[in-house]
Amino acid sequence: MRFSTYIVGLCLLLCASVTYASQGVLNVYIWGGEVPDSVIQQFEKETGIKVNYSTYDNNETLYAKLKATKRSGYDIIEPSSYYVDRMRREGMLQVIDRQKLSNYKNLDPSLLNQAYDPTGEYDIPLVWGTTGLFINTKFFSNTTLDQWNQLWNPMYKNKVLLLDDPREVFSMALISLGYSASDSDPQHIKEAYLKLKKLMPNVRLFSSDAVPSLVADDDATVGMIWNGDLHNAREDNPNLKFVYPTEGFGIWVDCFAIPKDAPHLDNAYRFLNFMMRGDVAVQSTLQNNYAVANLAARQLLPKALANDPVIFPSAETLKHGEFQMDVSDEALALYNYYWTLLKIEA
Amino acid sequence: MRHDSAFKIFSLSLIWVWLGLFALLPFLLVLITSFLEPGTTHLIQYHFSLENYHDIFSSIYAKVFVRSFGVAALSTFICLVLAYPFAFFMATAQDKYKNILLLLLIVPFWTSSLIRTYAIIAVIKTKGILNTILLALGIIHHPIEIMFTNTAVMIGLIYNLLPFMILPLYANLERLDFQLLEAARDLGASKLRMFFQIVFPLSMPGVLAGCILVFLPAMTIFYIPDLLGGAKSMLLGNLIQTEFLTIHNWPMGSTTSIILTAIMGLFLWFYWRKTSSADRKDLV
Repeated sequence: MRFSTYIVGLCLLLCASVTYASQGVLNVYIWGGEVPDSVIQQFEKETGIKVNYSTYDNNETLYAKLKATKRSGYDIIEPSSYYVDRMRREGMLQVIDRQKLSNYKNLDPSLLNQAYDPTGEYDIPLVWGTTGLFINTKFFSNTTLDQWNQLWNPMYKNKVLLLDDPREVFSMALISLGYSASDSDPQHIKEAYLKLKKLMPNVRLFSSDAVPSLVADDDATVGMIWNGDLHNAREDNPNLKFVYPTEGFGIWVDCFAIPKDAPHLDNAYRFLNFMMRGDVAVQSTLQNNYAVANLAARQLLPKALANDPVIFPSAETLKHGEFQMDVSDEALALYNYYWTLLKIEA
Repeated sequence: MRHDSAFKIFSLSLIWVWLGLFALLPFLLVLITSFLEPGTTHLIQYHFSLENYHDIFSSIYAKVFVRSFGVAALSTFICLVLAYPFAFFMATAQDKYKNILLLLLIVPFWTSSLIRTYAIIAVIKTKGILNTILLALGIIHHPIEIMFTNTAVMIGLIYNLLPFMILPLYANLERLDFQLLEAARDLGASKLRMFFQIVFPLSMPGVLAGCILVFLPAMTIFYIPDLLGGAKSMLLGNLIQTEFLTIHNWPMGSTTSIILTAIMGLFLWFYWRKTSSADRKDLV
């Protein structure tokens, strides 16, 4: 792999010589669809900094890319909570000096210093959400769905939508068995796999990036869903209902972070402080309906959104929630092994 | 003449460098990676191991191979059946129609295959064009569920790959000596016999070329099973994608790719054995 390092290095050198030529540059690599283009443009306009902006649609891609290149050249990334945990422990992130961020006080304190980043030095939460159940009442009018376990019911044969994400699906199965969503016990993971195997006849599809349109157009009528996606879909299809499962549910937080070797540190801080402004942070939620992790922004939301229990569940409901955590490498290898097995056997 | 040869050397070496840098080098990297072990803190551990090759021949992976071969073989066969009459018609049509037909075949290539796959979704989804029309005409009363089935995957594969079958067949059939058919008719051969004893055997190089061009991509276009099949049943392409991007096992992904390359090599070797160099024009 030395050759590849060499080639990649060569390419980066070429890029670098271009970027160093012009002063204000910021290389941003974040989740697709979470920061509107208009916000990026506004930042460029206000600061004169040129933003090189690219996106990914799962944490694994981000992680693989940072692992594959020694100096990725990115200044701002946006891992989800459990990847903040992993990347922080692997020394891939740098400590954020919160003194430099005057808008840090706007953040929702209930999302700070969580187990995935106990000191809160590595992450700046942007949006958060939950994974719950959905059902289309046009197709299932007189059923009560309030538990993950009910997805195994034969009445949902070839109907269920599962997220195309090993951790999400295994968390769901583990919770349904009464275990932790981020369990590392090999025996528990195996039980979850065996349970999921029994669910396969009910599974119609796996998807995670086109969910709102699939659900809105009746292509999937029951299954697991991110709450923001359901909110989007419900605007086109009033028959959709979101349920917080009584057994418990996972909470994810997508957080900005600064990679170890970020070349444009000052600009990265300016970007973070800009993104924590209420009027800026609110734009993300207005676009994608994910709950904003910023109290100043939350006050600017339309009442219908700010008071929607699907997006902002009550403190009572949230008690059953569980922040997604990283799991040990051995456990992750097991999740991945069983995930492949599950799909191969389907 | 000197200038000519200098130009020749320049352009040839450019191609060699290009191929070396962007085809041979990546292939070697994949080959080397396939003999290494996956790491936990790094993607790859520099530790020689044959375990990946041992694993890939285990029964779990065998299932993916068998399924991929089945799907690829079926889609190749259907492509052949659909493409042959079309190619024959095109080869025997008048020149002005021939060009129009060729154009019609090639125009879809101006749009990305991924976008055309999304277009298929718009047609076959529950509230798609097909169901809307059939419901409006009263032919059906409940939407037909084609999306996220093997049928949908098959439709997507055949739609995307059909031109790769038609073009080599057409290139071959266009060179067919039709005097042979006149001679056969004079000697009293039936139409069926003319086809199976003269036309089809003579077009064999084109058939083989088309089959190779359809069979191999059919196992590896990962986005079609993903989008149309609901990411439920894996083909080889999906397996490689999952190994690299979802579960970070680059060495195993590399091994799977190497096995796929070996299979492809085997097919090409077979094709090479079965055809003469003049026949091979159909492939290029």
